[in-house]
Amino acid sequence: MTDGTNTVGSRSIDHPPLVEWLDPRRKPPRHKLGLIGLGFLAVLPTLLTPLQALTVASAYFMAMFAMSWDAVSGYTGQISLGHGVFFTAGGYTSTLLNLEFGVDPLLTIPIGVLAAVLAGLLIGIPTLRLRGPYFALVTLIAPLILLRIFVVYSDVLGGTTGLTRPDQLFGLQAGDAIVTYYVAFGLFVVVLVALLAVTRSDAGAVFTAIRQSEEAVSSAGLNPAKFKIFAFTLSAAVGGLAGAAFVHLPIGSPTPSSLLTLFVNVEIIIAAMIGGVGTIVGAAIGGMLLVLLREILSNLAVTVPVLGVSLAEIDTIAFAIVTIGIVYYYPDGLLRSTITLGGRIRDRVASRSNNQSLQSRQQPRKSAALSDETTDEADRKHGGNGNER
Amino acid sequence: MVNGLAIAIQAAMLSALYAVVAIGFTLIFGVGGVLNLAHGATITIGAFAGFYAVSAFGGGVFAAVTAAVLASGAFGAVLYLGLIRPFRDDPTIIMILTLIVAIAIEYLFLVVEGTSAYTVPQIVAGTTTVGGASVPYNLVAIFVASWLIIGAVFYWVNRTDTGRAIIATSMDSKGAFLVGIDSDQINLLMWVVASVLAGIAGYFFGSYLTIGWSMGRTPLILSFAIVILGGLGSVRGSVIGAYLIGSIEVVTTNVINPQLQGLAPLVAVIIILLVRPSGLYGKEIDIA
Repeated sequence: MTDGTNTVGSRSIDHPPLVEWLDPRRKPPRHKLGLIGLGFLAVLPTLLTPLQALTVASAYFMAMFAMSWDAVSGYTGQISLGHGVFFTAGGYTSTLLNLEFGVDPLLTIPIGVLAAVLAGLLIGIPTLRLRGPYFALVTLIAPLILLRIFVVYSDVLGGTTGLTRPDQLFGLQAGDAIVTYYVAFGLFVVVLVALLAVTRSDAGAVFTAIRQSEEAVSSAGLNPAKFKIFAFTLSAAVGGLAGAAFVHLPIGSPTPSSLLTLFVNVEIIIAAMIGGVGTIVGAAIGGMLLVLLREILSNLAVTVPVLGVSLAEIDTIAFAIVTIGIVYYYPDGLLRSTITLGGRIRDRVASRSNNQSLQSRQQPRKSAALSDETTDEADRKHGGNGNER
Repeated sequence: MVNGLAIAIQAAMLSALYAVVAIGFTLIFGVGGVLNLAHGATITIGAFAGFYAVSAFGGGVFAAVTAAVLASGAFGAVLYLGLIRPFRDDPTIIMILTLIVAIAIEYLFLVVEGTSAYTVPQIVAGTTTVGGASVPYNLVAIFVASWLIIGAVFYWVNRTDTGRAIIATSMDSKGAFLVGIDSDQINLLMWVVASVLAGIAGYFFGSYLTIGWSMGRTPLILSFAIVILGGLGSVRGSVIGAYLIGSIEVVTTNVINPQLQGLAPLVAVIIILLVRPSGLYGKEIDIA
């Protein structure tokens, strides 16, 4: 590692010195907010009951699952419909090693990550070379194959009901809510930082370029398949880590219904879509929101009129409807929409309170934003007209 | 002990039904270039519509099939107009949205009807014996009806003006537009037709086995296998693929282990993708 000064290569000229870059005071407001948010989460357990702390801890895991999905699907546009395979590869490998051979979770979790990476390569190498929807189809099929294998070898693999609980990480008990919280939080921060680092790097730029146009990436002399497989394997590793750690904590269990089923696979997509695809942070927020909202719903005693069931029973349907609404009205997800909104409010406040010169400096920017908006509107109208043809 | 002839008959008859499901799936892909992951949920909707027509309104088989057609067709139209058309330039979003819709519908049936399996009346009751193997008339009826549907779709696509418009749209929707074909109408038509096919197939599946909230999954997955084998977008490939995949499925579940339901075709898909990703009938969009 260099100290970040502009000496090594032409690449680093764009970057300010590392110390300066790390200075939170120089960050844009949304980054400051993010750091404040993380700080808040770090002290949150002091405000929570143990049960609530455990709920937030499981929200971190949903966030990690969603981030892992976002790293490949949100960035490269290769939609994985069966990411649960990696959670399961990590969780089951770790559990089985622990149950059958008595290996300590601290050792089995890394092996679980390796298993997930292997699964990622196994699925990614044949399918990511192909154009078209084959990747999505195979990832949709993969969990079903895995579940069938579990059923066929149910004496070892536990069938549809899953495996028995393995040893807990650090010998945690069900009551150790605070430690569980911080283990989950620590993993969450590590995963968040790692994925942010990769997606904000040059490789991340290539991922996004692949989503826009694979031809463009090829013509720049880069092999899209290689980057897609890298993104997918990275995502598998993160998913495997989360899955493996999850089963060794009081909040998780090595069962298909918590790691593998279609509901799990769709849930993480829903989480990422709500928060905003292709941002990592959005997926994290979406994943946490999903778990916390579900918890709130389950405490509400609201009965749905026609069906005569409680709202908590149909929470999946509610989330599905919300997601469709978000795709309709805020296709960028909540995170980007909020940032845009925040920027607009800031501009407005700045132009009101500051003097004339600042206002005139803000003006072109604001009008640019406005014109963007009108183009958007025009596009939408144009699309509408096109549809009515 | 399982009888070889009985298995062959079962494979031949069920494969026709799989072909009906797969044709719907492939029509939508061939024309619109999008995957309808709610195709399995449409199967469930058709089956339950038939079930309600019988259980709640005391209808017969005819009423049940009519209800299945109407419900699934309406679902296809609503799905296309409400969700697909606004996003039709973005196959990725459509794939995710249809999956989310599928999950929501499955979940709805799960909440309302629970996990129990329900039965619907057979199309024709009774059994006959063919060379020592007993064959239910219901299966024969499914077989005949499926082939009538397949034949009708073939005729419709290849021999009528609408069919030519469908092929033109699948080749190049801009070119089709230039010669006066309304590609939006064609897409809507495809979604309705494909959904109706799935809905009828849903009732047929229900009359042969049982109906339940997740009944659409296996047929959907088999459709994937079939259309990947036959080549995405090829109707002829779908029929041939259905027979290959259907036979593999029936033989493995009957001869090896019923637990393997759905597994062998999926493994076959993976092998096909490794060896010949474009399927038996090459081109991605090739309707006939």
